[in-house]
Amino acid sequence: MPIGGSSPAVGSAEAERATGTEIERPVRGLPGKTSRGVRAERLAPFVLVAPAVLIIVALRLWPLLLGVNFSFTGDGERNGTAVGFDNYAELLGDPLFRTALGNVGWLVVLLPVAVAIPGLLATFIYLRVPGHRVFRGVYFFPAVLSPVIVGAIFNLMLGYDGPLNTALAAIGLGPVDWLGDADIAMFTVTGVHIWATFGMALVVFLAGFSTLDTALLDAARMDGASLPRIIWHVIIPSLSRTLQFVFVTTMIGMLTSMFGLLYVMTSGGPEGSTYLPEFYVWIQQGQMNRPALASAASTVLFLIMLVVGILQVSVLRRAGSED
Amino acid sequence: MKQRTLWPVILITGLAVTACGSAAPTQSSSGDSSSKIVVWDWKSGEPGVASYIEKAKADFATKHPDVTVEFVAQPFDQYYTLLGAATQSGKGPDVMLFNGGGQIRDRVNDLLPLDPYVAEDKQRLAGWDAFSKDGKIYAAPVTLQGHPIYYNKSIYQKAGLDPANPPKTWDEFAAGCATIKKATGAKCFALGNKEGFGIQFFMSGLGPGILTPEEYDAWIAGKRDWTSPHVKQIFSLWKKVNDDGLNNDGANSTALFNDAFAIFNTGKAATIIGLMSDVGHWKDFGEFLGADNVGVMAAPVVTSGATPVLPYDGGIGYGVAKSAKDPQLAADLVRSLTSTGALSAFYAGAGAITSDTTIEVSQGAPAVAAIVSRIKGGKPALHVALSSKTLDLMGRLSQKLLSGSASVDDVVEQLAASDKVS
Repeated sequence: MPIGGSSPAVGSAEAERATGTEIERPVRGLPGKTSRGVRAERLAPFVLVAPAVLIIVALRLWPLLLGVNFSFTGDGERNGTAVGFDNYAELLGDPLFRTALGNVGWLVVLLPVAVAIPGLLATFIYLRVPGHRVFRGVYFFPAVLSPVIVGAIFNLMLGYDGPLNTALAAIGLGPVDWLGDADIAMFTVTGVHIWATFGMALVVFLAGFSTLDTALLDAARMDGASLPRIIWHVIIPSLSRTLQFVFVTTMIGMLTSMFGLLYVMTSGGPEGSTYLPEFYVWIQQGQMNRPALASAASTVLFLIMLVVGILQVSVLRRAGSED
Repeated sequence: MKQRTLWPVILITGLAVTACGSAAPTQSSSGDSSSKIVVWDWKSGEPGVASYIEKAKADFATKHPDVTVEFVAQPFDQYYTLLGAATQSGKGPDVMLFNGGGQIRDRVNDLLPLDPYVAEDKQRLAGWDAFSKDGKIYAAPVTLQGHPIYYNKSIYQKAGLDPANPPKTWDEFAAGCATIKKATGAKCFALGNKEGFGIQFFMSGLGPGILTPEEYDAWIAGKRDWTSPHVKQIFSLWKKVNDDGLNNDGANSTALFNDAFAIFNTGKAATIIGLMSDVGHWKDFGEFLGADNVGVMAAPVVTSGATPVLPYDGGIGYGVAKSAKDPQLAADLVRSLTSTGALSAFYAGAGAITSDTTIEVSQGAPAVAAIVSRIKGGKPALHVALSSKTLDLMGRLSQKLLSGSASVDDVVEQLAASDKVS
């Protein structure tokens, strides 16, 4: 691209000059000489951002507005009539949706675990534990598997008569109905999700480590600091920006990409204990034929995501300003 | 530089804008010419039904040789979502496949009443009720779907029970289960309730042995007395069967489709409440156990006065969109899709129990003959009468009953409330 003066381009420019095409003018001479050139110069940025803006407006904002709009209309016999906040009232009254929101709360509680696991493992890899090269590949491997495949694998592993329970029985522990017990199914699915996705966070951590000042580590070692103390007092403070980034992206990943796992592993059950808002949206829209209620639920999900997104922006901005 | 990037940008913008308008709807908008009929289903792509579609097309071609029929097979997971979106944007098909019961009743506003077109077929075909609402027919039944109780004859044999005479009462049945457990180690029921479907099969399969005929008919007619002791007994029996260890372990984490069927197929359980068509039916089981080893029993009588009947409804059927350009033409296609020739091919190819009661099945497996002989005296299944919302709730509550986190009274109360609203 920078070699704009190659012969065909010059040729066409000259041909156009011969026919008196005005738009070509700013390219030829120094820009800004004529008023037309100034106008073209002023319009150019708008034209350039137009595709992006149009795509965002047509494919993002417009559907979003339609969705919010639908959430104030009724379903079934009240299809197309405005019902105010009825759908939202129904959502609040639906124990299933409350469970879904409660599970979002659980995800927030489990977030530190989801960040600590890749953080710790990345630390070990960075500190060159024996076999760290192998581990680096092994840890990343699940991140390339589709959630459907991961779900299918763990469905077999965690079945009531599956290998895990057989192994537990061998050491004298009773069988656990990993996916059939309402009190543990959500934690099982979240655990599998963490297993399937921590590879990405691990890579981010490793990238963060590459910026770590090794002199600090060496100094700590010279002073005889133990490994936990090195992690706590040297590594974590040095990686604070990476940590913040991983926190936010992991949270978003948990909120938006667990559908596949839930669909394959529990279908929202048992007893509706593994519902998340997006699964609820899908059930209401696809199974219950309640598109307006689904719109309301997805609007609520959007608001949750908005809060997380604003959090993300503010965290990243603060992290950036520390530079 | 700027100029040269400007034009591609405008070009791409133009493309982006025009492309997103035309790329989304994949199916044709069903015809500028009225000589084309578009059919949506989720079946026509399956190998087992190829000959059925061929037969139906041939039958239709003899009546309307100049009309082309296009079958569009959609994925079943998203079928109703896609159908709803297409219908709302005016790009829906002329003829479409439906599941009987709630799925079609929720959508009758977009469908053409078929009564005048299918009057001749009313006697020949069974299962109309599942496709009717307020006395009007909205689709013609293709298959029948019901819940026979299948049992493994070889397990009965091994346990020293008479496979030709399955138990008639619940006490006999439970005693037989204990004998089987002792002799072969097999569980009584193969149950999958991960999706919450297990309770639906249980209610419809065993319900005829629990409710009296009057209660049964009232239930189907919409007068459901959730406080009656017999209705409560359905749920207390559901709990008791599990508490007594008659089900396979981990029923709440076992998928009915198809893990529970696999438990029955591999001889780990002696009985299963299955289906009549599609999957989990006599043909599937016969392939594993041998056709002669698959028996069908009537629901064991739990309460005196109950007369067990085969619970079945129309399974799938074809309806016509209100927006169809030529309703007569579309209705003719529906009639071709439910002609005896086509349905015979469906039975032979996919093993479905079809709606056509005149098809000869005496050559088939003993289980088929046992099912078909009960169709005449059969009644609609209990769970099909409930709304999809109540069924969803019932699925979750049934899991609570199995895990012991809800009482029968509590469950029945919640279901009554949900049933009243919908």
